[in-house]
Amino acid sequence: MEILSLFNVALLVATLRMTAPILLVALGGSFTTKAGIFNIGLEGQMLVGAFFAVLGSIWSGSALVGVACGVAAALVFALAFAVLVVSFRANEVVVGLALNILAGGMTISLMKAIFGTRGSIVGKGIVGLPKVQIPGARDLLGSWAPLINGFTPMVYVAFIAVPLLVLFYKRTRLGLYIRVVGEKPEAAEALGISITRVRYIASLLCGLLAGLAGAHLSLGYITMFTENMSSGRGFMAVAILIFSNGSPLKVLAGCLLFGFADAFSLRLQTFGFPSYLILAVPYLVALTALFALSYRSRPKIIRETLESMRKLLSVDNKPAETGKQPLT
Amino acid sequence: MSTTSPATAQTAVELIGITKRFGAFVANEDVNLTVKRGEIHAIIGENGAGKTTLMNILFGLLQPDEGKIRLNGQDTVVGDPATAISAGLGMVHQHFKLVPSLSVADNVFLGMEIRRNGLIDHATQIAKTRELSERFGLKVEPEERVSLLSVGIEQRIEILKVLARGARTIILDEPTAVLTPQESRELFQTLRGFVAGGMTVIFISHHLEEVMEVSDTVTVLRHGKHVATRPTAELTKADMVRMMVGRDVSFDRRPREKTDGQVVLDVKNLWARDDRRLPALRDATFTVRGGEIVGIAGVAGNGQTELAEVLSGLRPASHGSAMLKGSDLTALSTAAIREAGLAHVPGDRLVRGVDGSASISSNLLMGRQNKAPWSRNGILDWRAAGNQAVEMIKRFDIRARGPEDTVKRLSGGNIQKVVLAREFTNDADFLLIDQPTRGVDIGAQESIHDEIMRQRASGRAVLVISVQLDELLTLADRILVMFNGRIMGEVDGGSADSERIGMMMAGLEPGIVSDEVAS
Repeated sequence: MEILSLFNVALLVATLRMTAPILLVALGGSFTTKAGIFNIGLEGQMLVGAFFAVLGSIWSGSALVGVACGVAAALVFALAFAVLVVSFRANEVVVGLALNILAGGMTISLMKAIFGTRGSIVGKGIVGLPKVQIPGARDLLGSWAPLINGFTPMVYVAFIAVPLLVLFYKRTRLGLYIRVVGEKPEAAEALGISITRVRYIASLLCGLLAGLAGAHLSLGYITMFTENMSSGRGFMAVAILIFSNGSPLKVLAGCLLFGFADAFSLRLQTFGFPSYLILAVPYLVALTALFALSYRSRPKIIRETLESMRKLLSVDNKPAETGKQPLT
Repeated sequence: MSTTSPATAQTAVELIGITKRFGAFVANEDVNLTVKRGEIHAIIGENGAGKTTLMNILFGLLQPDEGKIRLNGQDTVVGDPATAISAGLGMVHQHFKLVPSLSVADNVFLGMEIRRNGLIDHATQIAKTRELSERFGLKVEPEERVSLLSVGIEQRIEILKVLARGARTIILDEPTAVLTPQESRELFQTLRGFVAGGMTVIFISHHLEEVMEVSDTVTVLRHGKHVATRPTAELTKADMVRMMVGRDVSFDRRPREKTDGQVVLDVKNLWARDDRRLPALRDATFTVRGGEIVGIAGVAGNGQTELAEVLSGLRPASHGSAMLKGSDLTALSTAAIREAGLAHVPGDRLVRGVDGSASISSNLLMGRQNKAPWSRNGILDWRAAGNQAVEMIKRFDIRARGPEDTVKRLSGGNIQKVVLAREFTNDADFLLIDQPTRGVDIGAQESIHDEIMRQRASGRAVLVISVQLDELLTLADRILVMFNGRIMGEVDGGSADSERIGMMMAGLEPGIVSDEVAS
């Protein structure tokens, strides 16, 4: 009975809120995935985005400048990734991992150097992003208003980016070229499309969104930076990208699932379940979902086996039933 | 000889004194080529004769070291493909460069998208593709996704791509290598239509039949040099071969004595899946007798590879049996299969036939390294291996510097001979030969065919898989035709006509012959 009270508007609102950062970073990864680059550097790009967003916000006193700083830092990481992977053809997994480790270590040492603390940066004049109030939302939707009203800006950016990306891949030249470069590089080459250029652009677009996602983490609902605050969201995004193949709508579906699991585990905490169990919920959901997705290809195999089994049975049975009959 | 004076608009393409070197290797040496407007000009030659290099130079993909290019009577420096395209040249490569997930129209206009307000205008692209397709008689469905289409249609799309860019002179690099005979014939009709409309076609081929059938003029290259340019009508197939190879080569069906051997291989209801886990081999049932060559014909990718892999133990069968003198190959490991009497010449010799970075003698040793006299008390005897290599190099006429020569340095034909030398001396009862002469020169083809016929004469059962129908007609006693994983039917090698085999290769039951083939 009490459990049912979990499912209310607040849970949905929390789902959207939790989905936003992972959606942003996964949509960023969609560019590189579509361009044929396996980018596990998302986590690091997001983390430096979050750190430098806080730094920029403290220095300038403006949340927007903070976001710009976060994006710029993520772009630098994305550029480094592109230089190593695209120009120098280094292994993308190695480079991605290296940049992730660099991001983790760099933010910790910079924190120590600048603020003289370890762990987290709180207060110190961090200006967070304001909540967006949509005029008339409350009159229109009543108690459902929080579904579209009162989020921080990046939540809107994330969800609006989904249809924009669909349009981008379908109807713009750059989107088309990104797909071609990922799917059939030799076709791109033959038509004079520069693979290097397209992959650089895709990497930088990815850095842009990853930086926004990072800024959302540190300047969104909580205005603070903690060590390793991206906490695996970049890797979750990579998992989603593998299964969605970078398609924006599938990315959205995957991210909503994770967002829901996140929100659900937060709500469960109020019911006194052990917190370590609850914190595992999103990951359990992830495993289950991934298994379910890969399981979908099974029925086909079963069907084929049945086809050959039927063949086997009819071959074995026929002569027995009808005496001698030539095999076909 | 054509003696067209330069700078007349009668010539579409003129190459004068083209020389191209790659390091010490001379790919083209002082080649002259004149292609008249409105003709179909075939360029023939053995592998490595420099045909593709020459066309790549013409299309701006390579720069010549010496010589010049005249397009439509004008001296032109073709620095890149864009220059060639703007001069009205178009090239259809041997390997298609289409994007599978995109529609036909998207592929045709890729790189020159039609846009409105900055967005790609799919509707106009589709309409224009349809218009082009109707104007040139290249039937395609503009909205279909390329991943669902056959190779023949993919080639049409490649040609449409070239036409959409305004090409008046079209270069095709071995266009029929991937087509069924019917698809080839349709292609030739299209090409005829092009030249009737004043366009020019240059096509590279080493299928002499089709060169005879479709071209107006033939240019022969040999070892990078221009041998001759003649009107096709003045030449016979034998003339062309002589010019290509520099000597006479026989192409006729090999004479043979009738044999009546025991069944060596007995395949029953054999099924197997491909790498995507889809059924690729469906219900194959056939036998191969001793002293008999059975040929497997079909367009590449219709289950032949899977059949070869199942028989050699490289792929599990999902159902069925393949008995080799009483032992079921589907239940044995590759080593046990070889023990049971299989010799296997794989289709991809560099992947499965040889270790390219090892010497000839090591490659010849593979598979017999545990047997005397090559191994004694578990220790290899390299002298025996070396002796064996010397002997085989002589017997199989392998052109190499010596037994310690690295295999990957050899030409394709000689690598193939290394594989054949090893497999044919295994005393196996059953020979599985996948693409015996793929990428092998005509001269070497002949000696490989000789060797296969010798194996037949010595009473072995031979299964030859080949995508070259000519080859099967030359060698096989019986030909089985595969389509979509099934054996469509069997024809007698002696009285087979390629027409009927072609029908079956296209998936049509023998007997149901209509005009609307493969559309």
